[in-house]
Amino acid sequence: MEACVAGSGIYLPERIVSNEEIAEALGLDPDYIFKSAGIRRRRWASSTETTSSLAVAALGRALKDARLAPADVDYLLFGTMTPDRFIPGTAAAVQRKNGLRDIPCLDIRATCCNALYGLQIARALIATKVARNVAICLAEIQSPWLEMSPESGKISMLFGDGASALIVSAARGEASLEILDILLATDGNYMDDLGIRSPGTEFGRPGKAADSLPRMVGQSVILQASRKVVTACEAILQRNHIAVEEVRWVVPHEGNSNLLARVMRNLSVSAEKTTAISVMEDLGNTSSASMGIAIDKLRRAHETKSGDYVLLPAFGAGFTWGAGLCRVS
Amino acid sequence: MTIPAAALDFLTERAKTVGVASPVRDDDLFKSGVLDSFQLVDLIVLLEANGGIKIPDPDIDAENFHSIAAIEQYLSSRKD
Repeated sequence: MEACVAGSGIYLPERIVSNEEIAEALGLDPDYIFKSAGIRRRRWASSTETTSSLAVAALGRALKDARLAPADVDYLLFGTMTPDRFIPGTAAAVQRKNGLRDIPCLDIRATCCNALYGLQIARALIATKVARNVAICLAEIQSPWLEMSPESGKISMLFGDGASALIVSAARGEASLEILDILLATDGNYMDDLGIRSPGTEFGRPGKAADSLPRMVGQSVILQASRKVVTACEAILQRNHIAVEEVRWVVPHEGNSNLLARVMRNLSVSAEKTTAISVMEDLGNTSSASMGIAIDKLRRAHETKSGDYVLLPAFGAGFTWGAGLCRVS
Repeated sequence: MTIPAAALDFLTERAKTVGVASPVRDDDLFKSGVLDSFQLVDLIVLLEANGGIKIPDPDIDAENFHSIAAIEQYLSSRKD
């Protein structure tokens, strides 16, 4: 049975934070932030917003887009690195606030690959007839975790807040994306190169102050992502017998626009034939949410044609990485 | 093993771009600004395309590529 992204929606916090606003605190030049990461501004949530409240708004829009009611959702997946609570999962909060039935609700913790994991699980649930309509919420409020100091400048400049939601259905809709394949991989040798150590059983509760802050070995992330994402994209295209020249759209999780440019070049995609959907300049790295936001941007641009192939590359802490392949219905 | 000409040309061009002298054997390519993480990705693509080797992901570490001497040593080790 086919599984299609039949609806999408996003929600962004109102507050826009420019490079100029944070550059001095981070000990950086605003232009450096743009040149090194492709970011001009990002959104930060207010103190009254929660990760689930962002997701609730995005899901409401996605359901409307898919022309479904909350009661039509059979299964809820929630991808986030910044949950409302340590326990229980944030999916439960969305189930209650969005008025969904007493359906299964599952949090996913696969960092910036959450959208791909969500699509893979949703496709499997539909293929096995466990569900007909799966909602995937992808949301982050990362700004409270950022250390606004020169010592943390090169990581704190990157992240923003936001939410996206996707409805994966057995039934096709207008401009829906048929999920053809998802390829995912993990190498836990790099766990310490990107992430937050504490709270947890390994580094304590709450643990040392430094263990509660985001940590990133930027060089390792760039070097490994540049290779592994390209390899995943090539592999998923090869096993589906699709040439890279046939890919019309690249819709990535984007952590750095320079990295995306390397991936595009090393994949040998043609700028004339293939368009990358980037949301980095205005939103920064919204982690779990970013790929869903980019998918929503693609669907709302109304520039897709039936049969277009869409490639979805992603890379995140773990490291975990992969690629998805969709076709516009 | 010597570094492929295309990779040396790349390093020379990078040196011109950042306004430093062309690197010699033991110059630190990162400290001089000739390489950063993104440029290293480009260098590795060139080494693979022109050196007849496939560099495994775990070897993608700046330590193996921080100078011309280090690159030569790494390439020699890959030929064993």
